[in-house]
Amino acid sequence: MNQEVFLAMPVFLISAFAVLIVVLDAVSGKNKTINFAFGIFSLLATAGAAIYTLTLQVPKLVNPADYHDIFTITKNTMVFSSYSAYFDILFSLAGILTMLASRSFISKGYHEYKEYYSIIILAVAGMVYISHANNLLMLFIGIELMSIMFYILSGYFRQRIESVESALKYFLLGSFASGFLLYGMALVYGATSSLELNVIAQFIAKNNFNATYLTFGIALLLIGLSFKIAAFPFHQWAPDVYQGAPTTVTAFMSTAGKAAAIFSFIIIAKALMPSFTNNAMRLVSTETMQMILAVLSAATMLIGNITAISQKNIKRMLAYSSVAHAGYMLMGVVANNQLGYDGIIFYATSYLFMQIGAFIVLSVLENKDSSNINLDNFTGLRKSNPYLAALMAIFMFSLAGLPPFAGFFGKYYLFLAAIQSGYTWLTIVAVISSVISVYFYIGLIVYMFFKDSDNPIAKAELKLSSVSLFVCLIGVLLFGFFPSLLMNLYAIIK
Amino acid sequence: MLESIPLEYYLGLSAIIFAIGAVGVMTRKNAIIIFMSIELMLNAVNLTFISISSFFGNTGGPIFVLFVMAVAAAEAAVGLAIVLALFRLKKTVYVDEVNTLKW
Amino acid sequence: MALYDVIFYLFATIVLVSAGGVVFSRKMMYSAFSLLFTFFGVSGLYVLLSADFIAVTQIMVYVGGILVLIIFGVMLTTKITGVDIKSGTLGAFQMGIAGLASLAIAVFMIIMSMNTQWMQKDPLAETSTTVEAIGGLLFTEYLLAFGVAAILLLVAFIGAALIARRK
Repeated sequence: MNQEVFLAMPVFLISAFAVLIVVLDAVSGKNKTINFAFGIFSLLATAGAAIYTLTLQVPKLVNPADYHDIFTITKNTMVFSSYSAYFDILFSLAGILTMLASRSFISKGYHEYKEYYSIIILAVAGMVYISHANNLLMLFIGIELMSIMFYILSGYFRQRIESVESALKYFLLGSFASGFLLYGMALVYGATSSLELNVIAQFIAKNNFNATYLTFGIALLLIGLSFKIAAFPFHQWAPDVYQGAPTTVTAFMSTAGKAAAIFSFIIIAKALMPSFTNNAMRLVSTETMQMILAVLSAATMLIGNITAISQKNIKRMLAYSSVAHAGYMLMGVVANNQLGYDGIIFYATSYLFMQIGAFIVLSVLENKDSSNINLDNFTGLRKSNPYLAALMAIFMFSLAGLPPFAGFFGKYYLFLAAIQSGYTWLTIVAVISSVISVYFYIGLIVYMFFKDSDNPIAKAELKLSSVSLFVCLIGVLLFGFFPSLLMNLYAIIK
Repeated sequence: MLESIPLEYYLGLSAIIFAIGAVGVMTRKNAIIIFMSIELMLNAVNLTFISISSFFGNTGGPIFVLFVMAVAAAEAAVGLAIVLALFRLKKTVYVDEVNTLKW
Repeated sequence: MALYDVIFYLFATIVLVSAGGVVFSRKMMYSAFSLLFTFFGVSGLYVLLSADFIAVTQIMVYVGGILVLIIFGVMLTTKITGVDIKSGTLGAFQMGIAGLASLAIAVFMIIMSMNTQWMQKDPLAETSTTVEAIGGLLFTEYLLAFGVAAILLLVAFIGAALIARRK
């Protein structure tokens, strides 16, 4: 049988399950457990299929310019590399962790509707399309599917003004950004008269394109995508949206959603960052693109970390810090070498575990109207919830990038990659901003462990969230103590 | 027949529509009007796609436009649901009156 | 001046004037109706560009679907006669900045497209209709995307009901 059938399995499976779970919504009646279990099952199946594809002989990361009609079943609209398959696993994992933690959380805050689970599956489907896109249209459909599901999810607590407000802001700014993204795609299409990224890359390699339109198109694409990952000039929506949305949804959006958006950056950069010099405009050269991205990345991490310092609300603080983490991940795209792309894999994995873990700790401690997640409320947490406090401390250490946790090695690989490709100044900025970030991450730990309060948060019930927390803890520790494990695994599998 | 109006006119026209839409998004405070301005921007993009594809004889453009329309319809449904939910809670559709989330 | 040119300028004027109406009119309902004319005008331009199928789809989806939704939104949230712009919320300074920025984009784009040497300028293949080509592509290359778009629409409506339902 054609190997491509197996390679495409994650995409086909998630699409099929997405249809089935919507049907299941209609027939399952009042039973929500079936939908929940089916959702977990479908994500596990997708992740399993993706793990299987990793064992096949596939290119590590397909460079669109050397792509020659390899994938015939999907008519070149999709690309299958071990890189995309790995990200499929990450997205499914994030979905599973979120769903496990959501069960008790959404019924505590509002009411459990079974549609919640189908919307999460659909969002994961969107991310899977992004990671496999070889066509501007597939990329657009993936991004929009994911974004629209996020708009719905962030407004899920529809009786709370914060939630609806975050949904409104996300919706308006997100569709505004989509407008720019689309205009960029239209201009790239105009410049090369093709929608397929490999054809576009070949046009560019042959210097057969309209330079002005391509430049302007790339600029607009960068604006749109910067909105989606919340990079520097367009990051203002992120804290509001992440703070107002239900906490488990924030966990999902700020990790898997961000990783998917970074992935679309990688796709665009790979296809449109051409290395040519004899072009009249000189505006679209690899060096210029790298420089623009480097400035974006530096500004993003600095702004995110500096603003996070003054936050009193922990959710908002983590939201600002997630802006900064997007900046770190951009470093891998800037470096544009194998180490950089491997570094993004490592960073995205470790970031997923630590950020989802931190948000899930918040979600179990939260009261009914989420009013007790300020720094002051967390004083003396070590007495009432010692285990949760310890977990939170581990996640904070990891987010701050302190050894021996996974976050440290994630940063290490990215910094190394940036230095390798000659961006030492960017690495220096990144180190400085990491040092700044230590201040507020450790600040939370100080509140939890070294201050006492008269009425600390009551002992929290964990229920299924404990499974997610356990997985996150294992991830942070395992890849922290044995960083080579992940890298070797990825290298051997290929 | 097509040669009488050059491609540049169509592209320029859609650039102007896009710019008008962007002005609307940036200056208006009414969520529904902001949404209408976003629809203007999407229409400008569609016009760009169609004009490029019919001048170059390429079918990618109309396909893309079809999908943009589907996505725009989905966005319209979700967006207006959000605006309605907001109106139920706050009796307003003005984005500047919605400011509970601040530091 | 040929008839084709006259029709182009007519539609272009309609689109520009009504687009301005959407953004600058003081009543929400006027904006919604201006949008109607914009959609029709753009659809007319599609006909001029010999994209017949898209022109019809534009009217069916945008006018028949999205605009109706928008008008529902307008009527459910405000009185029809309500004046939209509140005094003081719209600073002249902010307006000026946004206008200048957008004007700059537009002018830049126009100048650029006028000065551009278009490379692959093939004459349009004389086809009677575009439906065939679109349908062919839709069910071969873009089959998966087509299915995804269908699910996207379905789930968006489920989600909209989830957010907007009463109690």
